[in-house]
Amino acid sequence: MLISGKFATRHTVVFVVLLLAAASASYKISNRPSVAIFQMPAAAKQSGSDLPVLQASFVSRTQNIHTHAASLVELGDGRIRAFWFAGSREGAPDVEIRSAVFDPSSNRWGAEQSIINREDTQRSLLRYVKKLGNPVAHRATDGTLWLFYVTVSLGGWAGSSITAITSADDGSSWSFSRRLITSPFLNISTLVKGTPFNYGDGSFGLPVYHEFVGKFGELLRISQQGTIIDKFRLSSGNTSLQPVVLVKNPQNAIALLRDAGATPKRVIATETDDAGQHWSVPIKTALRNPDAAVTGVTLSDGNILLVLNDTEQGRAVLSLVISSDGGVTWKTVYQLEDQQGPSTDTERYVQIAAELAKATDTGITDPAGHARSAQRNKCDGQGCGFEFSYPYLIQAHNGDFHLVYTWNRSFIKHIRFNRGWLDRQLERRADAQLH
Amino acid sequence: MPNFTDITGLTGVASAGAAGLLLIPGIERLSRLRLVLLLGMVFVLLLIQFGELPMAAYLRGVTGDLSITTLALIGCALSRSGIPHNCNDSNYCLALLKLVVLVALPLYPLSLGLTAFDPYRLGFGDPLLISVLLLLAFAAWILKHHLIASCISLAILAWASGWYESGNLWDYLLDPWVSIYGLSVLALHGMKSVLQFVKSYQMR
Repeated sequence: MLISGKFATRHTVVFVVLLLAAASASYKISNRPSVAIFQMPAAAKQSGSDLPVLQASFVSRTQNIHTHAASLVELGDGRIRAFWFAGSREGAPDVEIRSAVFDPSSNRWGAEQSIINREDTQRSLLRYVKKLGNPVAHRATDGTLWLFYVTVSLGGWAGSSITAITSADDGSSWSFSRRLITSPFLNISTLVKGTPFNYGDGSFGLPVYHEFVGKFGELLRISQQGTIIDKFRLSSGNTSLQPVVLVKNPQNAIALLRDAGATPKRVIATETDDAGQHWSVPIKTALRNPDAAVTGVTLSDGNILLVLNDTEQGRAVLSLVISSDGGVTWKTVYQLEDQQGPSTDTERYVQIAAELAKATDTGITDPAGHARSAQRNKCDGQGCGFEFSYPYLIQAHNGDFHLVYTWNRSFIKHIRFNRGWLDRQLERRADAQLH
Repeated sequence: MPNFTDITGLTGVASAGAAGLLLIPGIERLSRLRLVLLLGMVFVLLLIQFGELPMAAYLRGVTGDLSITTLALIGCALSRSGIPHNCNDSNYCLALLKLVVLVALPLYPLSLGLTAFDPYRLGFGDPLLISVLLLLAFAAWILKHHLIASCISLAILAWASGWYESGNLWDYLLDPWVSIYGLSVLALHGMKSVLQFVKSYQMR
């Protein structure tokens, strides 16, 4: 009798909990944001002179450290803020996320500053963090600056999760870190690299990728409050990563991914016609890709501008290419870097590196120091090699293009060019062969 | 000041850490009071900061936040003051673990990129998934499988109220730890059944 009484009570309590669950789930679902269309980037306003401009400089200045994976964001006042990670070596506990601000009016980068390190992150997240990596920034439509970066608690980069911090004052001060939960398997193996973009309802898309067991790209749709609203798979299997999403119109976009699969190594592409709800079966494009990140922007005339290591091996070549047919065919516009071939002569390597450093930034006083940094990071017992990788391209509201990339794992290099310069290159290369 | 979701995450991990003591052989010989005191002490110790972080935070870095199902099983083990292997003897618990394994076996490979279909996406508030789960919980309630009905209902409640950092319902329903545990218990159970069958066959 007593047992059946207890059972009846439990039976009733479980039913009440079930009803509460049904009610709360209905409420949550009814408040779920609906499907949104892509927001087109604001049309760039050409300001200043139409004269061709191409300028190069170094964003980071600290020598003899490992520096990698830069990203850019335009601030509310038109200045450009860069983020990258730096430390004694990739994955070392002392790696931190650094930042500097570029003032277009003076054409100068400000001093680099530390934004967040491993200790601050783990104190904030209340979980052990072993190392930090790839930072990607986004300025949401409400003016909040978001910085997403990779954190690892266990294992290598395959064990990554994404952590986010926000700033309401364009990067002068930052919130506590928070973790994005993106995977059911211990939340491991989600990394960021591609440029975020806005949806029409104020939410934003964050291209991400996995590299644990499989290598594939995904797209997170994130609310202005930082909640993941939805997640879309761009590819599957074990062959593609680091997607960059290029919005063509409110419904249509192309995602380009780094090829981690078999030869021929080519940039992989997938498209959507319903604002990212569904993506086509990924295909290899004609663009060569040595398993390296690509970056790009959609121009106001619909052309797509891409920066990539246009080769099947190594990252010593960096090219600017353009497509006028939505990503079907491509034409090389300009060779940004070309230092192919390994060098067993370290002295010669250091000499070339110093010349390249001086040519990049006449303001640096110690090009030999830059070259020694490159030697530290790019020479081993087998020889030395140049690396120009992890490009990140944005177009500012004034029409200028800003490109940053890793310079020999030692510095972040910045290239600024305008539409005038691009048009001149296009005229010169009018008869260039299509990819 | 820690966030609410950090507190819930850390206490979940600390509970699991304390429940881990029940695996020590012979611990059941302690009196109930001593056992409760010991478990409570370990629970508190795991939440006290040593160095940069509490011990539970180091564990959380590896384990992630524990699902409601895992916490329910830990709660069962702690409330019985017995060993967690009690599940071997409970049909209700076995039914729950069968369900966990049935879901986990396709969920993890598909979520880790096996095909273009991503079941994890459904956890961000897909009405169909929630309807199926509520129907399943209701069926379990009708069949008097209170453990299954409670785990599903509490997981949905916790998800809807933002109990953890995750906005994905799957993270409240199951985690790799309860899936591995379920797989191990079912494998042992299967082996036992086979051995019993062989024994009874030989006896004939």
